[in-house]
Amino acid sequence: MEYFVRESLASLRHNGLMSIASITTVALSLLILGMFLVMVLNLNNMASALESQVQISVYLQDGLSDYDTRTVGTRIAGIPGVTQVTYVNKDEALSKFKQRLGDQQGILNALGDSNPLPNAFEVKVDTPDEVKTVTAAISQFSGVENARFGQEVVAHLFALTRMVRIFGLVLIIFLALAALFIISNTIRITVFARRKEIGIMKYVGATDWFIRWPFLIEGMILGFGGALIAVLLLTKSYGLFTEQVYQSLAFLPIIPQYPFLTNISIILLVVGTVIGALGSTISLRRFMQV
Amino acid sequence: MIQMTDVSKIYSNGSVALSNVTIYIEKGDFIFVVGPSGAGKSTFVKLIFREELPTTGDLIVNGRNISSMEPDEVPYLRRGLGIVFQDFRLLPNKTVYDNVAFAMEVIEAPRREIQKRVNNVLDLVGLKQKTRTYPSQLSGGEQQRVAIARAIVNNPLVVIADEPTGNLDPDTSWEIMKIFERINRTGTTIVMATHDKPVVDAMKRRVIAIEKGRIVRDQEKGVYGYES
Repeated sequence: MEYFVRESLASLRHNGLMSIASITTVALSLLILGMFLVMVLNLNNMASALESQVQISVYLQDGLSDYDTRTVGTRIAGIPGVTQVTYVNKDEALSKFKQRLGDQQGILNALGDSNPLPNAFEVKVDTPDEVKTVTAAISQFSGVENARFGQEVVAHLFALTRMVRIFGLVLIIFLALAALFIISNTIRITVFARRKEIGIMKYVGATDWFIRWPFLIEGMILGFGGALIAVLLLTKSYGLFTEQVYQSLAFLPIIPQYPFLTNISIILLVVGTVIGALGSTISLRRFMQV
Repeated sequence: MIQMTDVSKIYSNGSVALSNVTIYIEKGDFIFVVGPSGAGKSTFVKLIFREELPTTGDLIVNGRNISSMEPDEVPYLRRGLGIVFQDFRLLPNKTVYDNVAFAMEVIEAPRREIQKRVNNVLDLVGLKQKTRTYPSQLSGGEQQRVAIARAIVNNPLVVIADEPTGNLDPDTSWEIMKIFERINRTGTTIVMATHDKPVVDAMKRRVIAIEKGRIVRDQEKGVYGYES
């Protein structure tokens, strides 16, 4: 074991520039992989957070009388499938909004005493399938300004997630291949530089695995090293990002840094090491037949 | 020790290197394989350490059947063989000692044993004073002696030498042959492909002559038999 590690490290030093290039490529590829993972998982998280709270917001016309308001409420409650109807008057709506803005509620001071929000009903239904028909029915009621449900947003968010995912996948595959290529190239140079030694090892009866290990370890060190850099950069920047979000956009459902990023780091380190081992194997197969 | 039965070797380009060779080499034999260039001498020795595979026929070396051997058995076959080349094949960045020790390290021999054995064989080939020297600082004959030390350090049953004196002057060739003789006296079988007529004629050992892939002569205490 000591022999293998010693040989690997000597070879890494020997090919300094190629080693640095390999590590950088792996780091770059895995950093982008990590960024996409973080993005997709966060978007998914947001979408499902929104989906679980699908409800219909029914905005009432301004100046509707209390009686008419009650009538609308009763009619809504009478629609089959509706499970809950909650009245939210404009003052409540404004204070809720202020809450969601957190630190930023200062911007509302510009409104002075006026309140631009309408009176509204929040309507919950049995199943998400009914949302569309119920919304359509409510829109027809007199006194209703308009009725909306969050699914449109959810649908948009899912569409966005899908796009990010496809785009990310293509990019990641491309970068992984680039990393694989450059690592296998580095190892190929090592193999080539040591072909005499390998030849002699074969003649005196070294097993193929004995010959392979130093190269495998070298590839794995390159992959792991690159992954480590990617992990450090990603952790640092996600930390800064979540800090910013908590300060200014507290209502965004961001996934907290721990243990989320720990898991992603483990994934990246494993992927990096595997790419390294794979790159070595390709070179050994093709150029040394061991 | 080495048993070839009806062995033929045809390369993928169609050239016939050996055809229907049958031969038996006993333990402790010292054998010269002679013949013109391209006659098949090199193929003959390469088959023994499975650098090449026979196209047809059976070849048994140290009790192992070369033709039916799995690739992962090859290292263990070679641990029983010592191989010496015309061009020495030493590692230039390792000292004499390390070049020889390398052959034991890569088959994972115990460290203490390595030290003992390497010093022994370097003594045997007369290079005890040069253990810390690098190959580039040695003469051709000395380099070949390092290669021989490396070939025998793992106590092989058979030493295979492909033109070991091809790059050396006559006096140096003699020194090398004396070392091979010394190794042979310990019971190690030696199979040597060579062009070196004076050496073959003077040693009076078994000579196998190959021409156009066939054995044309197999003679105890033989001579080279060609004008070189």
